[in-house]
Amino acid sequence: MDAALVIEIDRDRDEPAYEQVAQQIREAVATGGLKPGQLLPGVRSLAADLGVNLNTIARAYRLLEEDGFVEIRDRSGVEVAPPAKRAASGAGHALREELWHVLMRMRQAGVPLQAIRREVDRQLDKLLSPRRESER
Amino acid sequence: MESLSVWFVLAVETIVAGVLTFIIPRVTRRGLLFGVYVGEEHWRSEEAGAITRAWNTSMTAAIVLSILLGAALALTNPAHPAAVVSSLLLLLAATVATYLWAHVRSRALAVSGTPVAAAALIVESPGALTVPILATAIATIGGAIAFCYAWLHYGDIPSRVPTHFGISGRPDAWAPKAFGSVMLLPLMTAVLCPGLGVMACWTARAKRAIRQADGGVSLAAQLRFRRAVTLFLSGTVVLVTLMLASMSVASVRVALGLADGLPAASMAAAIVLVVYAVGGSLYLMLHFGQGGARLEKSAASAPLTNGLADNARWVLGVFYVNREDPSMLVEKRFGVGYTLNLGNPKALVFVALFLVFFVGIIWAARSLPHTR
Repeated sequence: MDAALVIEIDRDRDEPAYEQVAQQIREAVATGGLKPGQLLPGVRSLAADLGVNLNTIARAYRLLEEDGFVEIRDRSGVEVAPPAKRAASGAGHALREELWHVLMRMRQAGVPLQAIRREVDRQLDKLLSPRRESER
Repeated sequence: MESLSVWFVLAVETIVAGVLTFIIPRVTRRGLLFGVYVGEEHWRSEEAGAITRAWNTSMTAAIVLSILLGAALALTNPAHPAAVVSSLLLLLAATVATYLWAHVRSRALAVSGTPVAAAALIVESPGALTVPILATAIATIGGAIAFCYAWLHYGDIPSRVPTHFGISGRPDAWAPKAFGSVMLLPLMTAVLCPGLGVMACWTARAKRAIRQADGGVSLAAQLRFRRAVTLFLSGTVVLVTLMLASMSVASVRVALGLADGLPAASMAAAIVLVVYAVGGSLYLMLHFGQGGARLEKSAASAPLTNGLADNARWVLGVFYVNREDPSMLVEKRFGVGYTLNLGNPKALVFVALFLVFFVGIIWAARSLPHTR
């Protein structure tokens, strides 16, 4: 059996459990760990495995659906969504604004420009490398 | 002769049960010590070894004493209904006392804090439920046949009905005709067998326990173990149904004068059931270990996650109580198999219904005026 993708919840962290779940699934989708069309465990199954309330997982899946990472279907469950062909009108602008705010906050926090550039490159590599693997 | 056979039966029962108690610490998941998560390093420590050695010594003494005391009771009063199970009851009491003592000592090594919760993003195969659903269907049909057969012939049954059968299959105890004396066994078949089937279905969907960052080894082991337990339980459901349903129908036929005793099929099903239950339990324990622990090998040094590692969620190391967790069944911390999440309201309803039924059966059986 292949090593299955594992997500974790650390209750000692300030970040709410649903956000931890959503963030790890976002990352797995963005880096190619989860492929478009792949089914995710149902709300009950994942909540049972993690030992958390059903609402925690339902909320994480709703967040992911709003962000366009998954599609929730009534019968077949939760499916990883394919990346959009074109950014929805206004969405690109809003995300660029978000990135700009993060960069400004890093600068204000005293992170040197070179380090910010390296970090952006590193994150881009992380995002693109699995795709390159699959294209070979 | 009767005393000797009673003593032999109870000695075999006690030795089999005793062997199982010896095996448990040897097949336990690494990191768990008598119902306490002590972590993978403490598990190999000298203190942990001392607790396990003390358990072995105490259980050896308990087995010997149980056989001797049970034999004394069986030889002095072989006709007493408790004679055959007396040494088992003594062994059970000794096991509970020794376990509690070992559990309290193990708590000193417990890992503190809230463990990480982890889950694999894999989707359950719908096929996993096929066998237990089929077994539940057989149990429901078998139970319905047993109940309907007794119900439809109730009016024709004479004033005396058989309530117990000897080793030869011939009735050796009778009771006056009453709803309890006629319908007790069919009712038990109709309720108990589908209930066991439901447990097999829940087992197929029991909580998946994994270790942190072990490359999916513990998950694969756990899934194989869960599948094996589900198949084992499904087989048990079918065999119990065959045995109870055939006994139920046969007892009505004996009461009606259509047969002299139980058919050979009922007796064969009972023997097969005992061999299957003991052999299957030993196979699951020795081949898979607790939750598939014996298949984990080197991955077993990775930390456990979720409820298995969370000492705050376990009462005495055997009762899992987590209201947040929607799981019905979780892996046992002591022993091999699964246990109910007593924080789940559905599980509590199931336990309450089972207790009411169990107490009702005992009450009905005891209130029957038997004659021999």
